[in-house]
Parts: sequence; C-alpha cells; structure tokens
Amino acid sequence: MDKTESDLDLPQVRTQNLDLYYGADRVLRSLNFDIPRGCVAAFIGPSGCGKSSYLRCLNRMNDFISGARVEGRVLIDGEDIYASGVDVIALRRRVGMVFQKPNPFPMSIYENVAYGPRLFGVKDRETLDETVRSSLEGAALWNEVKDKLNTPGTGLSGGQQQRLCIARAIATEPEVLLMDEPTSALDPLSTSRIEELIRDLKSRFTVAIVTHNMQQAARISDYTAFFLLGELVEYGTTSQIFTVPVDKRTEDYITGRFG
Amino acid sequence: MRKFFDKAATLVFWGTALALGALLAGVLGFVANRGWSAISWEFIFEPPRDGMTAGGIWTPFVGTLELIVVSMAATVPVGVGTGLYFSEYATDSFFTHVLRQSIRALAGVPSVVFGLFGLSLFVIFLGFGSSMLSASLTLACLSLPLMVTASEQAFRAVPQDYRDASYALGATKWQTIRKVVLPSAASTIITGVILSIGRVAGETAPIIFTGAAFYTPDVAQSLFDEVMALPYHVYVLSTAGTNIEATRPLQYGAILVLVGLVLGISSIGVWMRTRLTREK
Ligand SMILES: Nc1ncnc2c1ncn2[C@@H]1O[C@H](COP(=O)(O)OP(=O)(O)O)[C@@H](O)[C@H]1O
Ligand SMILES: [Mg+2]
Repeated sequence: MDKTESDLDLPQVRTQNLDLYYGADRVLRSLNFDIPRGCVAAFIGPSGCGKSSYLRCLNRMNDFISGARVEGRVLIDGEDIYASGVDVIALRRRVGMVFQKPNPFPMSIYENVAYGPRLFGVKDRETLDETVRSSLEGAALWNEVKDKLNTPGTGLSGGQQQRLCIARAIATEPEVLLMDEPTSALDPLSTSRIEELIRDLKSRFTVAIVTHNMQQAARISDYTAFFLLGELVEYGTTSQIFTVPVDKRTEDYITGRFG
Repeated sequence: MRKFFDKAATLVFWGTALALGALLAGVLGFVANRGWSAISWEFIFEPPRDGMTAGGIWTPFVGTLELIVVSMAATVPVGVGTGLYFSEYATDSFFTHVLRQSIRALAGVPSVVFGLFGLSLFVIFLGFGSSMLSASLTLACLSLPLMVTASEQAFRAVPQDYRDASYALGATKWQTIRKVVLPSAASTIITGVILSIGRVAGETAPIIFTGAAFYTPDVAQSLFDEVMALPYHVYVLSTAGTNIEATRPLQYGAILVLVGLVLGISSIGVWMRTRLTREK
C-alpha cells in the first residue's frame, strides 16, 4: 500500500478502529482506512462479510436496526459522525445513498427527484425545476424522461428506475454517494450505463460502492477494499489489488478460488 | 395430484364467489322489487306524515347521513392515528400486545353492548343526553376496531424500501410518515372507511338508547338534537308502527334508499381509491 500513500492526502471519509455489533455479533472488526476525495472506492468480498453494514455506518442507517452499536470513529470531512450531538438529518443530506433494489417512491418522476430538496424547505418552483433537471441530467436520465416528468417513477424500466434513484440522491447535493450493489438487479446494458454514470459522478462526489462483481470493481473504481468476515483484509488502489495483491486471501478471492 | 387440487380449489373459489354474487343480487333484487314502487322524489324529500303511515323519509335519510359524517369525523382520525401508532411507533411489548388484542376483541362485541356503553358514557356520564352526538360517538366506538386494524395493516403493507429511501435522503420520521407512508397507505385506509360506513349506516342497536328519535318532523339541526335514522325508522315502522301492513312499501323503500346510500358512498370510495392507485 506504500505507493498509494501520497494519494490518500486529504481523505474525505476516514474510518478509525470501527467496530459494529448487531447485538452480540461483531460484524465489523477494527476497520481502519481512508477514502480520498473525488474518487470511487469499491467494496468487494463474499456475501455476509459486512459490506452493506459498513456502508450503512457512513450515513448512520444502522441507527434503525435495534441492537446495532458502533465503536470507533468515522470522520467525514474531519467531523466525527458518531460524536454526540451530531445532526443525523444533516449528515444524511451530505451522504446520499442508492440501494440495491431500485426503490423510487410511488410518485411522479418529478416528485421523486424533488423529494429531498422539498424536505429541506425548497418551495420555489423555478429552483425545484432547475434541481430536477440538473439532477436528472447528472444521472443521465433527462433525455429519456423530460417529456413525462409527471408520470409515475415506478413506470420506468429497472435501469431507468435506478438512475432515477441516483438523480434523487444527488438532488440534495451530497458530498459522498453510497451505492449498495446498485446494478445487481439490472440487465447488462443498464449496468454498463450506470457504470459509465458512476465514472462521471466522481468528479462531483466521492463514491463508495459495494459490488459482488469484481470486473465491475476493476472497471469503475480507483480504490478497492476486500472484506472477509467483517475484517478489512486489504485496501489499496484498484490496480494494485487486482494485479499485485499482498494478502493471499485477496488473491484467492479475486482469482475466483473462493467466494 | 397437485394439478387436481389446483383445479378443485379454483373451482371451489369461483363457486363461492358466484354464490356470494348471486346471494347479493338476490337480496338487492328482493329489496328493489318490493321497494321500487315507493320510490319517488317526494318519498326522499318529504318527512314522514300521518303517524308515519304516509309521506317520505327525508328526516331519517338526512339523519343517517349526519350520523355517518359525525361518526366518521371521530373514528377516522382516532382509528388512523392508533393504527399509525401500532405500526410505526409501538414496540413489541406485552403492553402493546394486550392493547392490540383488546382492540381486535372489541370488533366481536355485539353492537347492543356498544349501545349500553354509549348510554352510560356519552348520554349520562358526559351529559351529552340522547343526541346525534352521543349516537355518533357510540357508532364511532363501534367502528373503531375495524378502522384501527385496517389502518395498521395498511401502514404495515408500505414497503420498507420507501421508508429507507426517505430516511437516507435526510427525512425525519414524521416527514417520512406524512409524505410517503400515509399516501401509500391511503387507498387501503379508504377501504377501511368504506367498510366502517357500511357498518355504521346499518346499525340500530347502538343508537336506540343514545340518540335515535322515534319520530321528529324536523331534520336534526345541532349535535345535541335527537336524530331519526333509516335503519331505526324501518325497525319502528315494521314493529311499532300504527299500521304495519300498510307501511310495507315505505319500509322496503327506506331499505332500498339505505342500501343505495351505502352503495353510493362505497362507489365514491372505490373511485377515490382507483384514482389514488392510478396516480402511482
Ligand atoms: N439487520 C441485521 N440484524 C442482524 N444482523 C444483520 C443485519 N443485517 C446484516 N446482519 C448480519 O451482518 C453480517 C453482515 O451482513 P451484510 O453487511 O449485509 O453483508 P454483505 O453486504 O457483505 O453481504 C451478516 O452476518 C448478516 O447476517
Ligand atoms: Mg449486502
């Protein structure tokens, strides 16, 4: 990991001695690593190793799971998001999330995207129109839906729905975008469109993406983290992880010897 | 073998559905057949006359509408609020378990018991007297269990995905409930309201002691007036009227109007529900 050290200069997300418990189960174990600003970090590892749980630590969605408990620190832009008195609502505005299954609200396309801004009190129609347009453009969906903004978001195809969810997430102008296997429910064509989109998004957001697809991690990410049983086995630039992994277990996993 | 069972089950279900449809049509046909001759504009828009042996049903018709409106005004907010509490706020404790089961059990209590309860609570203890208010609140109590259960189920049926998406965008719990959960549950809640109205409109026992008038010439003007109601009116005509046989057409006519009223309200509800579903 030596040669990556200089790139890790001003990290946007710093994870320090992070433990996560669900009741008595320790599902994340002493995680320590930094995600630099404006890049894509991919999280790979076998199912159940804690990738989703880690993502949910970053916007404190684990708060809703009864019995979930966090030890250690997560710093986003230098601020400890688990410190007492942290405004979780404000945090979630800064850290957007896209889920595994496309989950647009049962509302119009327009209302889906305007949902976040409206929550924060934006009422002015022109401002909303502009946010909706720019977010849909940002999610590479504008051209397909600009003539049917008032039709239900649930009427779109799966791939379009997922891009709508991305538009909805970026409409609140987050700094970090979390994506939990955003293409696992999509066909190959929609998948490649979203991968293309993610590569564009990193100019504006730091992206943390969970994927079960290693080619995908290799294609779109700058950094890759390999998780196993709640531990961070190895973390480094994607090219290093995929060409010269240091840990034997990483090598076994990416060459498909287990998983 | 499985195929056979599938076929048999389908047959049984279709059979049952058909039988139920036929039964409903039969009842409607019977009522319509007997009551149709009584129906006219005067019948609906004139109050009963001549010791209720002539004239129309305007007073009980409006009374039933009033009872529906006032009882729903009480039961819908309380029922939806309680359903919301059970679904979104209550933890699975012994206390909430007992509460929930008690409400379910209330649904099975005979309506006359609600009548006596309303008499002692609203009429006597709270001093509302025998009035539209007491009768409506008694009817509200009667339909509350249904309303609570229907709305709790409606809220529970809202996918967790929607809530997650809302929270992840920085919504508070209340914002999530108001902007996502309630609208998604609305169509099922409306079904609950329709069922409640159907139940409330047809009840006699709960209102006899609490606010139903045997006869008043005037439509109830305030919450504290006694009120005539269609089901009680029919009951009175057919058991205690001055000339029971001669008023048969009036009785069937009143039943026909009551059935029409409930069906009419239901179809408005169904229309609202389809509109809501289509907007999704
Ligand atoms: N809500 C939860 N309550 C308790 N345990 C959970 C919950 N969600 C996940 N887990 C457990 O935490 C571990 C990590 O799960 P997860 O983060 O979903 O893994 P991944 O996303 O890598 O497949 C698993 O053992 C899983 O069973
Ligand atoms: Mg997962």
